[in-house]
Amino acid sequence: MNRRDFMKSALITGAAIGMPAGLDPILTALQAAQGPDLAVVRGTPPARITRAAVDALGGMRRFVSRGDVVVVKPNIGWDRTPEYAANTNPEVVAAVVRLCLEAGAKRVKVFDHPVSDARRTYRQSGIADAAGAAGAVVSFVDDRKFKDMRINGLTLKTWPLYTEAIETDKVINVPIAKTHGIARLTLGMKNWMGVMGGWRGRIHQRIDESLVDLAMFIKPALTILDAVRILTASGPQGGDLADVKLLNTVVAGTDAVAVDAFGATLFGIKPADLGCVRVGHQARLGSMDLAGMNIRRIAL
Amino acid sequence: MTRIRRFTQAAFLLIFLWLFLQTESKGANELGYPVKVFLDADPLIFITTALSTRQLDFPLLLALIVILATVLLGRVFCGWVCPLGTLHNLAGTLKKRRPSAKPLNAYRWKYYILIFLLVSSVFTLQPAGVMDPIALLIRSLSLAVYPMVQYATVSVFNTLYTWQLPLVTDGSEWVYGILKKGFLSFQQPFFNQAAFTGLVFLGILALNLRERRFWCKYLCPLGALLGLLSRYALLNRSVSEGCDGCGVCVETCQGSAGPDRKDQWIKAECLACLNCDDACPKNAVRFGFSAKAPDASLDLGRRRVIGSAMAGLIAVPALRITPLRKAGAADPQLIRPPGSREEREFLRRCVKCGECMKVCITNGLQPALLEADLEGIWSPVLVPRIGYCEYRCTLCGQVCPTGAIQKLSLEEKAKVKIGLAMIDKGRCLPFAHGMSCIVCEEVCPTPKKAIWFEEVRVRDRGGPERILKQPHVDLELCIGCGICETKCPVLGRPAITVTSIGESRSRDNQLLLS
Repeated sequence: MNRRDFMKSALITGAAIGMPAGLDPILTALQAAQGPDLAVVRGTPPARITRAAVDALGGMRRFVSRGDVVVVKPNIGWDRTPEYAANTNPEVVAAVVRLCLEAGAKRVKVFDHPVSDARRTYRQSGIADAAGAAGAVVSFVDDRKFKDMRINGLTLKTWPLYTEAIETDKVINVPIAKTHGIARLTLGMKNWMGVMGGWRGRIHQRIDESLVDLAMFIKPALTILDAVRILTASGPQGGDLADVKLLNTVVAGTDAVAVDAFGATLFGIKPADLGCVRVGHQARLGSMDLAGMNIRRIAL
Repeated sequence: MTRIRRFTQAAFLLIFLWLFLQTESKGANELGYPVKVFLDADPLIFITTALSTRQLDFPLLLALIVILATVLLGRVFCGWVCPLGTLHNLAGTLKKRRPSAKPLNAYRWKYYILIFLLVSSVFTLQPAGVMDPIALLIRSLSLAVYPMVQYATVSVFNTLYTWQLPLVTDGSEWVYGILKKGFLSFQQPFFNQAAFTGLVFLGILALNLRERRFWCKYLCPLGALLGLLSRYALLNRSVSEGCDGCGVCVETCQGSAGPDRKDQWIKAECLACLNCDDACPKNAVRFGFSAKAPDASLDLGRRRVIGSAMAGLIAVPALRITPLRKAGAADPQLIRPPGSREEREFLRRCVKCGECMKVCITNGLQPALLEADLEGIWSPVLVPRIGYCEYRCTLCGQVCPTGAIQKLSLEEKAKVKIGLAMIDKGRCLPFAHGMSCIVCEEVCPTPKKAIWFEEVRVRDRGGPERILKQPHVDLELCIGCGICETKCPVLGRPAITVTSIGESRSRDNQLLLS
């Protein structure tokens, strides 16, 4: 973060804290100066649209500085091959890794704490091979590196989280858009379950608040939602190609709530109907007000 | 010659151990190495399985090669190849050389054991694996030795890791990284009966302190089988006039071949180690090829032969008069791996080698104790609370040497039911406590989920009415993989459990009409 960035964000943060609710437009205008709020790129191949989306936001250098250690967190949760849209598209992940390295990142780490067996998910998803070839350090989760962290959120007070995901210079969230039994959809915020240790299944009891707590604690520099293929039913694991819809789309933005809000619309769901988006908006993690946003749409 | 033999033994032991380490998923659908090759080459497993099943639908070429080699050269497998034999050699080096101890000379025992096994296998029992050296070794390594080594190694490195000392921890983590790549298991294996299996193995190795290669001389049924096959071997031993009866050869003999008795040398007990040739100070011993050779006949005693045959015969009904063999009375926890044959056929084939448990990706396959009664001891059972059956994994069927677990394609695997899940409404959070939870549905791997939700209005103590999703199992779709039970957040007794009912392999153990 250089001095100018610091001044700018200090100003925005200061404004956000001290500002009465009616002054939202000023804040929005200030942010707009930094580029669009969201970039939505449609086309092929996945690597190209990923790159175009990041470029539309001002390029990866805006988010990654020379010498940074960057964690790129895809969804590698399930033992499924890419066409089933249960894990993040490997080409999208590889493209993000390349962008980080080009921006001068010292090291890019890729990992997830999967639900199915990690050896199979890493391999069958194609992510281990693709991210490795792109130059990332792909590793399995090491149980010793979970540490109880004070989240102090709405629901989660302390929980064991993966230190490598927290103690790093930058984090980039690269989720895939899928349906989910209780959260309705799993998008960006839901992807943070992949850095949780312990019996994380328990968070389903208050899923929306828990997800917002996690997203607030982790603070990714950027969220890149893979909607190349989306899973429209039987998520989050899928298994039937009839449930997969080809959208050839990538959504990128710095506002985690906005990205998920836009993601909801891909399924024909109103942002406010998605619990974590609504709670995230109320908790001021971000905005779900898509109408008031500067959304840059590109077709390639 | 000793050096060449030791080198050969070491080479085979290392190949064996290396294949053992490769008996683990790397994430692909296949392992990529012939990890069960030693079992395939085991004539005892080959013959007993052929007898008990009256089929020859498993790999047999390697076993035939070993049989042929034995017929020509004698028990070279025991002396030069067998990895358990080599381990006995190593364990034997711990024994003090004390000429005073008289050898037991009970080499006949193993033939009685062999007769027992062969007769019972003729009558469809398959107990050979309990004592077969290759099956015993793989089972002991898988269930006890390797998990212990893993635990100890990881503990040491974890301790160094928690100290966080400069340089020391960096170095240890570097070494740890290398070990994790090539030697350690992906995750700590845990097995029921680990200590028991380990103690049996330790006991067998400790017999070397009584007498070197005690097991090979007196107990090993494979050794007995190869002994019988070697009776007319062409590789024979002759002793020239130069022998002055000094008896050095007796102490170096790895078998009970009685090398000092010249013409009364027992060929079936000779491991072809050639130690007597090397040790002879007069250079009077010679091994060479000849059609006819002096041979002491193998006198087992008619009564004892009949006795062991009778025992083998009686064992069959004795092990089968258990109510567990009745459908419905069988242990509901007896969930067999996917592709397992119908229980009777399964038990005719399973040699309890433990390969499937070693390779199981979730550690869910565990050795049975009495779930399938004594006949099925150490056979594989899926224990979902420990680990579930991964939907797209077919490794257990790939490593089974006798086809007790059949090799399945991914398409076939997706259709095989190993049991059914049922919900305990008294413990399930949405049913019993009005709390939201969907873990079983989320993890259910079938393309159309076998767990579906019913939306109901509930009111908890003092709270307003709200809508909650309650899970139900679709019995047509459920394949019994057990992931719901593994991941159920209701710890202790889970709120959803799998039992064997509905398993595809059984005609009787069914619930649904169609």
